[in-house]
Amino acid sequence: MTDTSQERHKRTAGVSAVVGVGHTDWVSDYRRVRNGEKPFDSYGYAAQAFSRAIADAGVARSEIDGLIVGPTTAYERMGEVLNIDPRWGGQADAVQAVFQAVMAIHAGMAEVVALVYGNDQRSAAVQYGGPQAMGGGAFLSYVYHSPWGLTSQGALYALMFQRYKELWGVEDRDLGQVAVGQRQWASLNPHAIMRKPLSIDDYLAANYIAEPLRLNDYCLVNDGGVALIVMEAERARKTCRNPVYIKGLGRADLNNHATSLGPRLIDFYRPAQQKAAAQVYSAAGIGPKDVDALLVYDSFSPHIFFALEGFGFCGQGDGARFIADNGIGVGGGLPVNTHGGHLSESYMQGWNHQIEAVRQVRGEEGERQVQNCRHVQYVSDVAGKAMSIIYGK
Amino acid sequence: MGANTMKTPTLYSPYDEPMWESIGQGQIKLQRCRVTGTFFYPPGPVCPESLGFDVEWAVICGKGKILSWTVFHRQYLPAYPAPHLVVAVQLEEGPIMIGYMDHDCLDSLALNTSVRMKYVNHPDGYRIPKFIL
Repeated sequence: MTDTSQERHKRTAGVSAVVGVGHTDWVSDYRRVRNGEKPFDSYGYAAQAFSRAIADAGVARSEIDGLIVGPTTAYERMGEVLNIDPRWGGQADAVQAVFQAVMAIHAGMAEVVALVYGNDQRSAAVQYGGPQAMGGGAFLSYVYHSPWGLTSQGALYALMFQRYKELWGVEDRDLGQVAVGQRQWASLNPHAIMRKPLSIDDYLAANYIAEPLRLNDYCLVNDGGVALIVMEAERARKTCRNPVYIKGLGRADLNNHATSLGPRLIDFYRPAQQKAAAQVYSAAGIGPKDVDALLVYDSFSPHIFFALEGFGFCGQGDGARFIADNGIGVGGGLPVNTHGGHLSESYMQGWNHQIEAVRQVRGEEGERQVQNCRHVQYVSDVAGKAMSIIYGK
Repeated sequence: MGANTMKTPTLYSPYDEPMWESIGQGQIKLQRCRVTGTFFYPPGPVCPESLGFDVEWAVICGKGKILSWTVFHRQYLPAYPAPHLVVAVQLEEGPIMIGYMDHDCLDSLALNTSVRMKYVNHPDGYRIPKFIL
């Protein structure tokens, strides 16, 4: 990166703020879907979350001039359903949606951007493994090795973590601390689907799915929606209560050898995470020690180890020791996935992490509020894209 | 949706075809760049290193070392009942290739364990290389 580009990148810090968040009733919808009902389709979930987000923000729908929809709904139809004719828009996953909103606001392409996601993956019986596995069109590694029996994204993380275990002498019970810690947070969260306490013995007693990953290392699969309203920072400061600023962004990708799993098995995504870390911390003017809560995209629990090490919370291979010494659950030194994450709260593909970050910084989390919470960092490594956002006051 | 959709496809691009033909003949070939001499996998239109189109199909030795493994304890694919042992192997020629082994090999596996290919029949009616100790 040239100096000019670096300076420009830093100027994206603080130009936008999240002013409204909303989500659907994950717990009751989960129950209804399991009983064979279908409360909404993806558009319906998105619409419900969107209505709640604009109410939370106190903005009128007519103020919205940018629209980003998640990957599970069509852009045009979503705009039609919500009756939004923006001057800028697009389609993106959770973390890229936030990046794009910031970029659009920074470029003057939009001032009030609605980010809207709905997914009926459970009631629609979306498959994440097997002959009809989701995502193969976008990610060749998800399907290419199926003639040999490798399928499901969980198995890719199982391969990563088996090698990690061999390299660093980590045990199953070390990995189990992630699911146990996140369940502690979820048990304090009325919106979490899985709230029953989980002990390490419960964790170890559950069956392997793709060894070394057990049942509780896997995310839930549930229906729901999430929405955020992102606003230009000056306007947010003047017109909204309690805006939460987007203080920094960082990203680096590893595509080379992706299908044959090189970035996973050889690099554990580390070089990309280190580059993303340098960007996000420099933009926000903080370091890992200033992070009050860490939210990690956790389709599978090994993500937490790779995030802690790649973003410099601890050294390579030190994840298990860091978790044991500091704690990541309730009362721990580094609160991680304080909503319960995808493992215990809701599998909203990173979208629920964004609204958790906002609520923690606002200070409205009740029992699970992290004290003096000034900076919340989000980290994801989905399919080789190491990305991070820092939210703050 | 016929029974056909339950089969596991092998061809994800036109470049996969020569590889599967060579597998059918019991001697797997991968692409090698004539400029850099490097093998790459999966097959593709150009050598990712040199961006050169001047590539040749060359026989590989079929030997490699274990990078990692996972055991499926749940059946996802009709061809592979659980428990199914999938391995990631660094081939002698460089690329990483995913394969499988008999589950009773599990206790013999460690990082860098040497393995080699053996050609067997896939239930969908094609030959496929698996790994053996």
